[in-house]
Amino acid sequence: MSRAANNIVRLLCTSVLIVAAAAALNFVVDPLQLLRPARFTPAMYSADSRMQDAGLIRSQPFDTVFMGTSLAIHFRQSDIDRLLGVRSLKLAMTGSDSREQNIVLEAALERHPRRVIWQVDDWIFRDAADSGPDLYLPSDLYLRNARGIAGYLLSGAMARESALLLARSIPSLQPVAARLGTGVVFKFLIPDVDDINALKPDFKVAEAYNANKALAAFRDITDPKRSLYLAERYNYDAMVRNFERDMVGLIAKHPDVQFDIYLPPYSILQWVAMRDYSPATLKIVYDFTAYFATRLAQLPNVRLYDFRSVKEVTHDLSNYGDVIHHSPAVDLKVLSWLAARDFLVDRSAPTASLDRLKAQVAAYRVEKAP
Amino acid sequence: MAGTKPGHDEKQRQGRMLFNSYLFIFLFLPVTLAGYFICGRFGNLAAVIWLALASLVFYSASNWQFVALLLGSVAFNYFIGWLLIARKLPPRQRFAALTAGVAGDLLVLGIFKYAGFLAANLDAIFKTGITLDILLPVGISFYTFTQIAFLVDAYRGQVARYALPHYALFVTYFPHLIAGPILHHKDMVPQFERSETTRPNPHLILCGLMIFAIGLFKKTCLADGIQPLVSLAFGSGTPTFDQAWIGALAYTFQLYFDFSGYSDMAIGISLMFGIFLPLNFNSPYKAQSIIDFWRRWHMTLSQFLRDYLYIPLGGNRRGTVLRYVNLMITMALGGLWHGAAWTFVIWGVLHGLYLCINHAWNHFAPPVAPRFARVANLAAFMLTFLSVVVAWVFFRASTLSSAIYILSRMGDPSHVAFGRAEVVQGAFVACYAALAFLAPNTQTIMGYDHKARTVGGAAGAWPARPLFLYASAAVLALGILGIQQYSEFIYFRF
Repeated sequence: MSRAANNIVRLLCTSVLIVAAAAALNFVVDPLQLLRPARFTPAMYSADSRMQDAGLIRSQPFDTVFMGTSLAIHFRQSDIDRLLGVRSLKLAMTGSDSREQNIVLEAALERHPRRVIWQVDDWIFRDAADSGPDLYLPSDLYLRNARGIAGYLLSGAMARESALLLARSIPSLQPVAARLGTGVVFKFLIPDVDDINALKPDFKVAEAYNANKALAAFRDITDPKRSLYLAERYNYDAMVRNFERDMVGLIAKHPDVQFDIYLPPYSILQWVAMRDYSPATLKIVYDFTAYFATRLAQLPNVRLYDFRSVKEVTHDLSNYGDVIHHSPAVDLKVLSWLAARDFLVDRSAPTASLDRLKAQVAAYRVEKAP
Repeated sequence: MAGTKPGHDEKQRQGRMLFNSYLFIFLFLPVTLAGYFICGRFGNLAAVIWLALASLVFYSASNWQFVALLLGSVAFNYFIGWLLIARKLPPRQRFAALTAGVAGDLLVLGIFKYAGFLAANLDAIFKTGITLDILLPVGISFYTFTQIAFLVDAYRGQVARYALPHYALFVTYFPHLIAGPILHHKDMVPQFERSETTRPNPHLILCGLMIFAIGLFKKTCLADGIQPLVSLAFGSGTPTFDQAWIGALAYTFQLYFDFSGYSDMAIGISLMFGIFLPLNFNSPYKAQSIIDFWRRWHMTLSQFLRDYLYIPLGGNRRGTVLRYVNLMITMALGGLWHGAAWTFVIWGVLHGLYLCINHAWNHFAPPVAPRFARVANLAAFMLTFLSVVVAWVFFRASTLSSAIYILSRMGDPSHVAFGRAEVVQGAFVACYAALAFLAPNTQTIMGYDHKARTVGGAAGAWPARPLFLYASAAVLALGILGIQQYSEFIYFRF
């Protein structure tokens, strides 16, 4: 064998050894707890819910799944359990679309939960933007196919996390690991499942949620340079198609599971922005949600709640950090409404709450900034 | 909406065989390489046919519905080329054949790439209600340009007749098919015709592996690593001054490491087959003028635009004013080549403007005194880089209004976040800047000389040094460990 050929073999063998070492580390530590619950190292969790949810589904006990977007991301599982009397698993993902939510829920439903609580925004049914779901969601991890497992074990980023978790479990290395685990490079830094994406106790709620911030966000999204975003990718036919595929299809496939679906209480400013700056979009949303409510009313294992016209919340701008995201206090209200079955949509009049919303939107006048 | 960049088909992406995929690295490449050298024992033609078939398999893995289009394009251009080369046609008929060939190529490109854009603009202006959503065949811009160059050279009498398998391989050769480099027939076909190429050369395979490793590392560790910061400027949020700059700079470096990584991988793969591909990048962000930048960035496209557009338009032979007009036309069309959107046109026009200013400055500005040369060079480097970053905002933004909005945030220092996250992100971007500005490029590290057909330094000895060998192995391993699912190359969409 020539010297160059010999060097090819050495290069390839060295590469294989390094890759195999990383894969072995990932297999043993298993940061996501995808293969088994944490055994050799302390269980730690990441705030990257698209990735983390795959491991949570495999490692956590639950009888209720809580799904949604950023509107549901700050809920605490302990609050859901306390107020609804369930054992919940929060799988909400910021900015997720219906396709992503469908993939994650399909994986979660393999564990046979009794109930799904699903926070739904109309925009999750729009066609994906520049990207399909797989650009964001590691769907193979949820499907647990060979590509997903290989991708997980052969991931350098995961090997980095594995090394830190391993270091945390070795007493002499713990101080170093603690200094490294600052959240800039490493992701698996949350020791309690309940804290994943929940607001910290010292979080300054009043600073983050107030009328000034809501009005500033309203001005921003209605700025002529930005207002095009209001209409971005809204298409009635596509939304109906995605709704039927991702939500109705899933619900029909699991008739033994109770689906509690709710439309969250956005601030009235969200609707007014569309009313004044993109009325065609508002019409699409109205038409789509009318179809949505009517269709869900036909499914026996669905309870639909519409919180969009709960005026005491939606018209009080101090509840909001922007035009849609509400405070943790409203999180608790949502849970209490669900527990009491308040604002439950009547199957015989599925669009009544939408009509109330339309009347509120038509009547509302924006306050001037203080 | 007219001017909005086209999206991508999800299924098309999912099935795509990327250089940075396990399927390609662990199955397609080893099998193709082994088959090539085995076929080589039966003669050059067998190896060439094998490689052309493998290239079609590679293309069909993600674009099976466009394989017929690709083959049709090859057959059409080969036929026109045959008319121009082998038939003794009178001048008028020769010109008619060339016109038909180029028009046919541009028509197909126009239908697939620009018809939707045209319809959207007509709809925006005249409310026609007609919109077209046509799927873009991957690589069509690259293989169309490659073949137009072939036809033009055939018309000029600069092409010897090529055998059909060699010509087909020249067009479909998988290392370049999807995103370049844009190959020239005079460079490639003679290499395909050499029988020595089909015998395994361990030195070239070793160097090819190393270059591939560097490219893979650039893509999976560097480009994909900085990708999340890009959304600071180009996401749907409201960026502050510093966030907008971090996002714009992150995209600047992401694009470079992504595209130059792809080009390195293409060169490395090709080298394993004994074929030298032309360089596409030469540390472009080290440029000290826009003219210099375009000699270093996407070099094969620059050469194509110069030889087959700028010079035929008249180049600089018809006076200063027409030279600037030709520059603007060339760069605007170069922008449009990247995609059917006004943002790309504006990007091209902006670079045309930069080039005109650069040429005018070279012509009219007084020479710099030697004692100020270093300061002047530094200022020129900074101004060039800044101009490029500003233009990239148009290149990346989804709409013109979005680009203007981002630029307005970059120009508004009254809104600054400058929190811990921004400091860390800024440091991250600075590391990338240091790599782009200071590190040697792949061809320097590897001693790759396309024209001399050499690689690996004098006598090909130094890639065999143990330290270099193990460092390359680590880079390859890190590149493989950095692979993320469905991380496609940015230039695939052009």
